[in-house]
Amino acid sequence: MKSQRELHTFSSGIILETGEALSSFDLMVDTYGELNNDKSNAILVCHAFSGSHHAAGSSDDGKSGWWDELIGPNKAIDTNKFFVVSPNNLGSCFGSTGPISICPETGEVYGKAFPAISVLDWVNSQEMLLSKLGINSWACVLGGSLGGMQALQWAITFPDKIQRAGIIAAAAKASSQNIALNEVSRESIRKDVNFHEGDYLKNDTFPKSGLKAARMLAHITYLSEENMNKRFGRKIQDVESRVDDLVDYEVENYLQYKGEKFSQVFDANTYILMTRAMDDFDPAKKFDNELKDALKKVTAKLLIVGFKSDWLFPPERGKEIQLAAMQSGISSSYLELEGQQGHDSFLFGNERYQKNIEAFLRS
Amino acid sequence: MNNPLTNIVQDWIQSSSNVIDFGCGDGSLLEELREQKQTIGYGIEIDPNGILSCLRKNIPVIEKNIDDGIDEFSECSFDVAIMASSIQCLKEPNVALGKILNLSNKCIVTIPNLGYWRCRLALLLGRMPVTPSLPSSWYGTENIHLCTIKDFEDLCSKENIIIEDSIHLNKERNKSKFAAIAPNLLSSEGVYLLARK
Repeated sequence: MKSQRELHTFSSGIILETGEALSSFDLMVDTYGELNNDKSNAILVCHAFSGSHHAAGSSDDGKSGWWDELIGPNKAIDTNKFFVVSPNNLGSCFGSTGPISICPETGEVYGKAFPAISVLDWVNSQEMLLSKLGINSWACVLGGSLGGMQALQWAITFPDKIQRAGIIAAAAKASSQNIALNEVSRESIRKDVNFHEGDYLKNDTFPKSGLKAARMLAHITYLSEENMNKRFGRKIQDVESRVDDLVDYEVENYLQYKGEKFSQVFDANTYILMTRAMDDFDPAKKFDNELKDALKKVTAKLLIVGFKSDWLFPPERGKEIQLAAMQSGISSSYLELEGQQGHDSFLFGNERYQKNIEAFLRS
Repeated sequence: MNNPLTNIVQDWIQSSSNVIDFGCGDGSLLEELREQKQTIGYGIEIDPNGILSCLRKNIPVIEKNIDDGIDEFSECSFDVAIMASSIQCLKEPNVALGKILNLSNKCIVTIPNLGYWRCRLALLLGRMPVTPSLPSSWYGTENIHLCTIKDFEDLCSKENIIIEDSIHLNKERNKSKFAAIAPNLLSSEGVYLLARK
């Protein structure tokens, strides 16, 4: 598989949905496969809130991309046929401009001064990327969770620049429960003594324990109860492999381990920014809360996928999008897949999931 | 054409109609109607293989068990709804029929006829009928509300549903003039075009 990593600089900047502006910004972008002559085979994949541009293949340290099970030669998103473009989102912390970047105006790290970013801002920045790559339209935009929200926003905002949208394990807006869970995560970050109201980098510190606790809570929401029971049950962690003395159960050890690892690579302000973008996503708001009106101008074919064991964005939330699309006469399909891994099911390539995505991309 | 129903129902469907097919199977009827009549169609299906076939044919498809109710579609509107070989499998076919006619102007329904002489003969010989229209054994069938042509037409009149047209099929599931002479006895299956009064 041909793959390339490139930092794209947009020196004309961007005006954000809030009215604030970034005078210049970078997007770290991975591409897989090759663009064909008529530039008709480009697919944009959008990552979920903690993801990165590394969607497929293995990095030098052996880590697989977040959607490696679906993207690659002869996989559902076949890199022998498609040119897959995978940017790190604006405001994230894996190479694209975000709170840990240096603000060109002040010469200091942005930190808490980094502006709020919305799903629409991401889509606008990705549209700038599309045009920088010299491509007229995406054969498909797809993603899971917050990535699915971007795919939906793409279909709404740029109907003439997208042929298909794959909206997976997503919702047309966050529920009260979604916002509540995100708020607990944010609170644990904000109340970390090292947070310094978001200016921790200037104080040469980092709210590590708050970020870790936030991730531990969030991680539970990505799994299903059944899946956790199957995997961990009530098993006691063997003493030698305990991450610390406070741990009794395997599930505790697992969450501690996951939280610890996450807190070493993720940025706390980015966590807050990303969860805010998710909470605030609501394309129907400008249309008197009528999603079907928000979808009126959509011309892309939609595929909406929900997973039965997902309780964060349960299948019903996807169904709402499909139904609204149907009411607006938009070609839209809806799948409800088994998926044992809860919300995280969208990351795993079971056979039915793969085949249906592949069929949709070829239709 | 792969789907025998296409020939039977295509005269009932106007060009560019908006069609929903409950229990669309592999989407072949919707695909052929799209070719013949430039219809815009949605399929509703529960079988994973059927759903995959629909996606491959570029037929929009919704994964759903129709038996769980069709209330969610109440705000949608269609020119024609098709319910081929599935209404007798529903819990309350009379209620479902009413709901379908609330969301579509016309409804095409097929009904396997338990009054067909082969069915009657089977019962006379003490056996549950197995025919091309009723292919499953008694323990394998999904049919829970079988009726005869007369029963079905009675239901339509009771529910204020107009039968705008009907076609009666022979054992091979082809349109048959012979079957139309005395459909309740001679047809294996009835295909109906229904509308609200």
